[in-house]
Amino acid sequence: MRLFSTLALAAGILAGALSLASAQERLNFSWPVNVGPLNPHLYTPNQMFAQGMVYEPLVRYREDGTLAPWLATSWEVSDGGRVYTFHLRRGVTFSNGEPFDAGAVVANIEAVLANRSRHAWLELANQIQRAEAIDGHTVRLTLKDPYYPVLEELALPRPFRFIAPSQFVKGGTVDGIKAPIGTGPWTLVETRFGERDLFERNERYWGEKPALKQIEVKVILDPNTRAVAMETGEIDLIYGTDGPISPDTFERFKRMGAFSTGLSRPVETRVFALNTNRGATRDLAVRRAINHAVDKDTMIATVLYGTQRRADTLFAPSVPYADIALKPYAYDPALAARLLDEAGWIAGPDGKRARDGEQLTVELCFVGNDAVMKSMAEIVQGDLARVGIDVSLVGEEESSMLARQRDGRFGMIFNRTWGAPYDPHAFLSSMRVPSHADYQAQLGLPDKAEIDALISEVLVTTDVGARKEIYRDILTRLHEEAVYLPLTFTSTMRVSRPELGPVPFGALASEIPFENIHPEAR
Amino acid sequence: MAGFIVRRVLLLVPMLLVASLIIFLLLRLGPSDPAMDYLRLSKLPPTPEALEEARLFLGLDRPIAVQYLDWLWRALHLDFGVSYATRRPVLPDLLLFLPATLQLAGLALMLTLGISVPLGMWAARHRDRLPDQIVRLVAFIGVSMPNFWLGFLMVLLFSIELGWLPAMGRGSWMHMIMPASAIAFMSLAINARLLRASMLEVAGQRHVVYARLRGVPEKTVERSHVLRNALLPIITATGMHVGELIGGTLIIESIFGWPGVGRYAVSAIFNRDYPVIQCFTLLMVGIFVLCNLLVDIAYAYADPRIRLSAEGVE
Repeated sequence: MRLFSTLALAAGILAGALSLASAQERLNFSWPVNVGPLNPHLYTPNQMFAQGMVYEPLVRYREDGTLAPWLATSWEVSDGGRVYTFHLRRGVTFSNGEPFDAGAVVANIEAVLANRSRHAWLELANQIQRAEAIDGHTVRLTLKDPYYPVLEELALPRPFRFIAPSQFVKGGTVDGIKAPIGTGPWTLVETRFGERDLFERNERYWGEKPALKQIEVKVILDPNTRAVAMETGEIDLIYGTDGPISPDTFERFKRMGAFSTGLSRPVETRVFALNTNRGATRDLAVRRAINHAVDKDTMIATVLYGTQRRADTLFAPSVPYADIALKPYAYDPALAARLLDEAGWIAGPDGKRARDGEQLTVELCFVGNDAVMKSMAEIVQGDLARVGIDVSLVGEEESSMLARQRDGRFGMIFNRTWGAPYDPHAFLSSMRVPSHADYQAQLGLPDKAEIDALISEVLVTTDVGARKEIYRDILTRLHEEAVYLPLTFTSTMRVSRPELGPVPFGALASEIPFENIHPEAR
Repeated sequence: MAGFIVRRVLLLVPMLLVASLIIFLLLRLGPSDPAMDYLRLSKLPPTPEALEEARLFLGLDRPIAVQYLDWLWRALHLDFGVSYATRRPVLPDLLLFLPATLQLAGLALMLTLGISVPLGMWAARHRDRLPDQIVRLVAFIGVSMPNFWLGFLMVLLFSIELGWLPAMGRGSWMHMIMPASAIAFMSLAINARLLRASMLEVAGQRHVVYARLRGVPEKTVERSHVLRNALLPIITATGMHVGELIGGTLIIESIFGWPGVGRYAVSAIFNRDYPVIQCFTLLMVGIFVLCNLLVDIAYAYADPRIRLSAEGVE
């Protein structure tokens, strides 16, 4: 083993030296931290994009929300949705030559379940009762209930991915791994803590081999430094969802013309949850007026430099089950004012509205030290003031804001959906949990109990048609009752050198498809 | 002298203890929740079960007193725990990054002293004339400009526009020029002005006037009679500057992608990585105290009127 890693390291250094001559074979990327030890079954410090480079799932999530065969070529569902039988791809080996077979799959799933409490957030980890190898290339999973999103959750970057069982420590992965040996297109060959990680193409990869030979991931914490590194040629690619660079820097790269820039389709939705159980937002008319009064297009053009798109619904239509043609609350301040007038909120001489002595004031809670969030909150404050709704801004530290989400101390509060593949099922599932902003915000709805029951029902509905109808019902209710003020759909940002050729976006926000980059000959 | 040093080093122990207690409490009495940050870093939905599991896993479910005593007991054995974010032991990583920071701060200190002394002398020699005005302007800019902004401006000019210097990373001495200059600039500006004032004050004293009357050459007067005496406040200031310089590395290292303790600490603060913040703070307290001790010793060496004893500075 040591010989192998020494050889791999030597090869890495040699290839590193050679790559100076032919730059297209090596891609320099950056990330705020090292990629971690790359334990496929654990969370931070393991970085998801890197886990996705080395480890693969049984089934793969595709852009359209469907699931494609991957390490499993086919599967059958039996016993009313409780038993899944997977047929594994033949001829797949781990990057050290070990065969990928039913034994390896079962060992990995058992290693995950040995640490079940850490994965309890994922319903599938609670649902799997047994994993058995039927023969060398067939695996059977038995569940407690006919839980429908099994394949979606098997497609996640973690924890249900596969490391060579020879790399287990003490018979599992809870206490660490020996080396990150997966079946994926890349292998991690070197980590210099605080400086960089180096990946190389897995020459044993079963699928189409990547065009690039090496990926170097430099540790760059600061977004401005990342932008500078791009300009000075230290890195070739900026890619990420959580603001790898600021919106104005992205705009600058776009205008510069020397780089290729792109925004992915919607990844997640930024919304304000409106509290139906507290203050003025208990009134449906107020919630609808808020939805009509905010000029999202101007907000996106100014604060966000067009790096996000306008959201009119809780989920983008591209999210599974969410393309149900809900009627947006269009920007119409006059309509907002009329709704408020009709509901008895009368404007005083100072323009502020009140009803029966109750001032129309809403508390808007957000993370105070997030500059973009703060500007967005201020714009909403200004827009709502124009229709006579007084907004008091409560900018706090992130954990204080999250505490408000948990116990419902807000009028409006920043919130975001979870993105693919958690949307919509896992996000809706959490609406039933009291410690979520969504639960708190919906608490004043007359049909809250019904909504919760519908969510519980949809998660175990195996008939696709029936499932669609229940989702339509839930999402329509939430939309009509204006529980949310959808603001924007966020996207993954990409800035790349034109020589890299087209750089596609991953189907999951956490994936970076390095293997699909085919640098163009100069 | 030896008694003085021993006493001061021993004093470090209660100081570190008090500092550790304060930082421990300050971190935990705030409203923030590292379990939440752990889930954010892990990209996990913050369900109550996940939060509870994270608290258990990070050891945050125990009473604060128990947490502190447990931490202290381990710290006495030089085990400062495991970082919440990297899951690596804290002390070895801090020590791994420390040399890079000391290298940067060391060069910055050399720049500070190497440039501020001639600059201060030049200004004092030409009091209220052009050189003095230039130094005044430089000093004014130096104390007004935040070092991270200066860092970015330098990157803009020397890396992006001119392409002379690497914008980031650690490698050759070329990589050190910009970060070290950005850190040194403020201390350098303050030092130059301080030396100017101090030299002008000493220049008016009797022994300098007598030396001139005795016909001692002007260069010798300046060097032996003025500068030597004027350097005393600079030594004191340098003690403080060492702190400033190391503190300056915090932000500058993040900007220049310099793999030192500063950048490590910045990400730890951002992620509420308590074990790292605690260990980093103690390390800094230790460095400050030791620097001050060195300054006191240098003081005694430079000024024979001062004697160090076990009771302190006389």
